[in-house]
Amino acid sequence: MDSEYIIEMLNIRKEFPGIVANDDITLQLKRGEIHALLGENGAGKSTLMSVLFGLYQPEKGVIKKNGEVVQIRDPNDATALHIGMVHQHFKLVDVFTVLDNIILGAEDTKCGFLQRKNARKKVQELSDKYHLAVDLDAKVEDISVGMQQRTEILKMLYRDNEILIFDEPTAVLTPQEIDELMDIMRGFAKEGKSILFITHKLNEIMAVSDRVTVLRKGRLVGTVNTKDTTKEALSAMMVGRPVQLEVHKGPAHPGKVILDVEHMTVPSKLHKNNAVKDVSFQVREGEIVCIAGIDGNGQTELIYGLSGLEKMSSGTITLDGKDLTKMSIHRRNLSGISHIPEDRHKHGLVLDDTLENNLVLQSYQDPRFQHMGFIRSSQVRDYALKIIDEYDVRSGQGPVTIARSMSGGNQQKAIIGREIDRGTPLLLAVQPTRGLDVGAIENVHAQLVAQRDAGKAVLLVSLELDEVMNLSDRILVMYEGEIVGELDPKKTTVQELGLYMSGAKRSGKGEA
Amino acid sequence: MKEKLQDLYNKNGTRKVLASLISILIGLVVGAIVVIAVGLSKDTITTQGMWDGVKLIFAGILSTGRNAAGVLTWGYNAQSLGNMLFRATPLIMTGLSVAVAYKTGLFNIGAPGQYLMGTMASLMIALSIPTSSVPAWLVWLLAFLGGCLAGALWGAIPGALKALLGINEVLACIMTNWLAANIVTWAFDVSNFKNMVENTKSGYVYKTSFNGVQTAKMGMDKLFPGSQVNGGILIAILVAILVYILINKTTLGYELKACGANRHAARYAGINDRRDIILSMAIAGALAGGGAALYWLAGNTEFYWSTYQSLPSAGFNGIPVALLAVNNPIGVIFTGIFMAMLDIVGVQLTGYTAYNEYITDVIISVIVYLSAFSLVIQMMLPKWKKKGGPNANAEPAAKTAPKPETEKGDKEA
Repeated sequence: MDSEYIIEMLNIRKEFPGIVANDDITLQLKRGEIHALLGENGAGKSTLMSVLFGLYQPEKGVIKKNGEVVQIRDPNDATALHIGMVHQHFKLVDVFTVLDNIILGAEDTKCGFLQRKNARKKVQELSDKYHLAVDLDAKVEDISVGMQQRTEILKMLYRDNEILIFDEPTAVLTPQEIDELMDIMRGFAKEGKSILFITHKLNEIMAVSDRVTVLRKGRLVGTVNTKDTTKEALSAMMVGRPVQLEVHKGPAHPGKVILDVEHMTVPSKLHKNNAVKDVSFQVREGEIVCIAGIDGNGQTELIYGLSGLEKMSSGTITLDGKDLTKMSIHRRNLSGISHIPEDRHKHGLVLDDTLENNLVLQSYQDPRFQHMGFIRSSQVRDYALKIIDEYDVRSGQGPVTIARSMSGGNQQKAIIGREIDRGTPLLLAVQPTRGLDVGAIENVHAQLVAQRDAGKAVLLVSLELDEVMNLSDRILVMYEGEIVGELDPKKTTVQELGLYMSGAKRSGKGEA
Repeated sequence: MKEKLQDLYNKNGTRKVLASLISILIGLVVGAIVVIAVGLSKDTITTQGMWDGVKLIFAGILSTGRNAAGVLTWGYNAQSLGNMLFRATPLIMTGLSVAVAYKTGLFNIGAPGQYLMGTMASLMIALSIPTSSVPAWLVWLLAFLGGCLAGALWGAIPGALKALLGINEVLACIMTNWLAANIVTWAFDVSNFKNMVENTKSGYVYKTSFNGVQTAKMGMDKLFPGSQVNGGILIAILVAILVYILINKTTLGYELKACGANRHAARYAGINDRRDIILSMAIAGALAGGGAALYWLAGNTEFYWSTYQSLPSAGFNGIPVALLAVNNPIGVIFTGIFMAMLDIVGVQLTGYTAYNEYITDVIISVIVYLSAFSLVIQMMLPKWKKKGGPNANAEPAAKTAPKPETEKGDKEA
């Protein structure tokens, strides 16, 4: 019997200690369709895909291929069933060539020797057919992220996979590369391949998918035809309540210059070149300036240079008239920098300490919280309760909760509360919504706008184009360590922004 | 009542104490098994002898010797208890030393070196300042502080190497340990502190009582007559309480702990992590050096100065003492005393049975092994929980990276 569905996951249930990650979820993938899987963090998308890929065994439910029940015990079973997956973080060997990466694990050998010739021919054919341009002899460490992704896709095609899973494939791409990927995906669908597309970006779903399955808190909310639904309806399905997708903010009223950076150069830890090259810019009070760019173009080092985590090799930083260039991190903090760090687990929190201790991470030496070197624990407790209340930080045991046990969204709320409450004139917010779900993002955006309206200078670093376009009053685009353009979000388009981000376009304006 | 017990069990601290107690129990049982195994393989040891050995292992501290009929007698043994407390004194101090460094994320395997430097400084000060012109209590105090200072300096070296040059503190500690052993040997070799009075002995330094310097008894001799104990144990307990306050109640302790738990976050917050690493190792060194001072200033033991081939066990035993106490300064008091008790049990075994004291070393090593192991289990438990069983081993690394989907893990925990 030839079923309409190529893959069916019926009534899947997967439990972890203390939580049901997948509760009675049914997902049916039609032949030749692009099927989006949508859900917040922790909704169970990855677990479901891991079940399909053989990484987890479900407690209940069956998987059918072409209408017949199959057992997928490990990824090898999945490969045998022609199921392939492009992981969010690529699984490539950096020092191998593209070709070697593609054939790795499916090598053709004769007497133990690799037979690269046939493989090369097959890969080249696939590459030409699907317009997946790669340099087969380049080492993975030397090629762009986009090409790495194409390598991953070729890996799936080389294994004759007909069910292709893409796990958040667009997170690392420029708008142009995203468009290309969408075209490639459409081409696959036309060929009769079936695609499962995991994402939380509604624009992409509307653009490319045929049907959408929405999960929430481990349960199936429903499967809808993309053409019968809207972004608003999908986000409401995902979060369980109507969500404000656009940021509401009035016009900015920039005042005096708060942060003035001149000719900042920061060396790189990864390569010999400087990560930040002779960058100059200003941030005024009452405006949100966003540093846009593809990950790894010097944004992280720029912020490290500002906060003092990394030493600048040249340049000056002036904050509100004070020269910070030579100051320690501690004195910069006191002089008026708050910093919502990029990596909340590495820098933002002492994960194994309590929430209350984390909330005074910078201010424990403040006379409010210590007397003669002894911590005033009752004051710390009161302060923690205040922040928890004001910023709606939810945790199991209140102030004494171990930070590690809190959800990502609440950890971020705690950090944002702590940093905003310090009331400094400059707020550095680095990817403040990274890994947060739609509801939490809404909250963070509102907080940042409120800070701007209260007359603070906000320097935002974001990789999310929607966030850049919606939230900022000015956009500075970084490419290979330089500011290559200054854009007005009201006058520019995502496409133009993308050209700057990929280095295809630049103006002298931002460097002035 | 049952709920209360359940609550108690669920507390982190309770589990740590339980884990340590289980390690101790298993260690003692293994010791007993060794006693039986040795007994069975030796014709000279009777069933009664084996049984005596087992009894001594579990309750040797309460043994009062053998009566005229050759049967082991039991009861309150003030001398054993006092000697146990005397031997516990340096162990508590080195245990604190290891625990303090551990709170800052450092493994202070350099306690033996710091202990030796403390030994040298306190002995030299105690023997060289004539008590005829300076009051003995002042000499004692100077010697004690000198011991602490020497240990602090010796601890600060690996600390500085770690903080400034990024050299692993374990390597630096091992090097400084042997440096200390050779420096101490050389320094006493060229000194005039060598014991020349009792010429039956060679390689020993004068007892500090030779110069009239001795730790005050503080009434301990009345409590435990006939033993070596003195006020040192009270000082060690006081120091443990002070360390507890330092770690848990002060801003410095907060900094040290933040550095230890997440050096990146500490740096981000403006804490001077380099200074704190050096400071933490200096404090650790001071505690080990102070432990040496308390031991030798007792005045009733003599130091074998030609030590270049060996390191003092009191230094190394600080590691199991701290491990068993899960690095809790108050816990260190008890685990230090426990380790000293095993020492005494070893003496009892040698004295009253055909066994020798090395069996207690077996017990100690089993306990250390298990306490380290239980720490591992404690660390692994939440991870197993989070990952959802052994199946999860095949989970791709992508999911452990701090990207959106991984937040799930935090929620589950």
